[in-house]
Amino acid sequence: MKKAMAWMLAAIMLLTCAAAAADTFIQGIDPEYPPFSYLGDNGEYTGFDVEIAKAACEVAGLEYDVFAVDWDNKLIQLDNHECDVIWSGMTILDSMKAAGYVISAPYYDNTQVLVVKKDSGITSSADLAGKVVAVQLGTSGEALLNGDLSALKDTFQELVTSQSFLMAFTELEGNAVDAVFVDLPVAAAYVADKDGLVILDEQLGAEQYGLAFRSGDEELCAKIENAVQTLVENGTYAEIAAKYPDIVNNLIFLNAK
Amino acid sequence: MTLGTMVIKMGEGFGKTCAIFFLTLLFSLPLGMLVALLRMSKNRFLSAVTRGIISVLRGTPLMLQLLAVTYGPYYLFGISVSRNKLIPVVVAFAINYAAYFAEIYRGGIESMPVGQYEAAEVLGYTKAQTFLRIILPQVMKRIIPSVTNEVVTLVKDTSMAFTVSYQEMFTIGKQIANSQTSFVPFLVAGLFYYVFNLLVDFTMGSFEKRMGYYR
Repeated sequence: MKKAMAWMLAAIMLLTCAAAAADTFIQGIDPEYPPFSYLGDNGEYTGFDVEIAKAACEVAGLEYDVFAVDWDNKLIQLDNHECDVIWSGMTILDSMKAAGYVISAPYYDNTQVLVVKKDSGITSSADLAGKVVAVQLGTSGEALLNGDLSALKDTFQELVTSQSFLMAFTELEGNAVDAVFVDLPVAAAYVADKDGLVILDEQLGAEQYGLAFRSGDEELCAKIENAVQTLVENGTYAEIAAKYPDIVNNLIFLNAK
Repeated sequence: MTLGTMVIKMGEGFGKTCAIFFLTLLFSLPLGMLVALLRMSKNRFLSAVTRGIISVLRGTPLMLQLLAVTYGPYYLFGISVSRNKLIPVVVAFAINYAAYFAEIYRGGIESMPVGQYEAAEVLGYTKAQTFLRIILPQVMKRIIPSVTNEVVTLVKDTSMAFTVSYQEMFTIGKQIANSQTSFVPFLVAGLFYYVFNLLVDFTMGSFEKRMGYYR
């Protein structure tokens, strides 16, 4: 009898825990996407998106948690409740809206750039005819090259898709590819501590970053958007943004002011 | 994108998957035998070194080995990363699978009763003759189920070549899944692998039947 009671108590405790967990807001991030989301020096996930999400949760009264998604399968993981939002420098695609995901208002104007070796003699996208170009799988760069910029892609000898941008840059440094097509802030952060690499002064493609929620989560989306707006108004947003100088110029909420 | 286009696109990548598969088998099956013989060598030093190498190859993820073979030469010696990714991919796969095959061969060879060696010696066979004419044919027969196991695993492991940006079938499947926000390419990929493995199973099965000697 006592045993049965103990089991029941345990079950009740588990249930209450589960109920409490329902108020947890789990941010799905790409852990390899600085400066938006990455593994910090202290071994904890950090980055602009992570810091804003944490602050927004505080404002909205939600328990914060973070989950590193597999970027190629992020929407499947979102559907499976492994996280409640994809919030990690994610480009808003029309196909996401068509598939029913709730997409927040954009917060970042993203531009794509080409990174090449300094001594390569490549100065514009026109010089890439017959060259090999790398892009990270699942990024907006890949989507662009297969969409709006497919004419540019057709001039390449080959388009190589890499698992992460780090692999793409390694291919570039190791001379396996001639250029890497990547988001400007990522390029800026990487090139900053590497000699011999240079960002071409040509901005390709204009896209915007936003948050993706499961279909039907309009309420949660509005709650988070409001919380972020509060952060913008009380200055926390600008404070956090100041730590990430590479992206600060393209943040929509700050430039609208 | 229609299902037809999807299958055609992934079919193109499947050629590259097959290239990894067949080239890996071509190199790792004989290499495994060499490693097995070194492992069983009477020379203590050779045997210990081979044992260490097998231990590392079996004890670390294939994905790491792929990265090491592909990018290691660049980071260590500044040698350019190969533009034809098939080369490092096959090298990494062949070395890794050779380690597994070596242990399968060794198990087969050591399962042969000592009496057969003694009998062969009495009949005047040389050591090489004993191994090639008496031991090896029986070993081949015994190890086929274990080898089939590894071969089937290899079919699925080919998808790991994506780690080093080799555009095989699964990579293309992921790309399509991404651009279409759809799960279907993964189903197609699963089907590709399964059908391929059915063929492997059938081939190895008929091979096993043909080995039905000494019965």
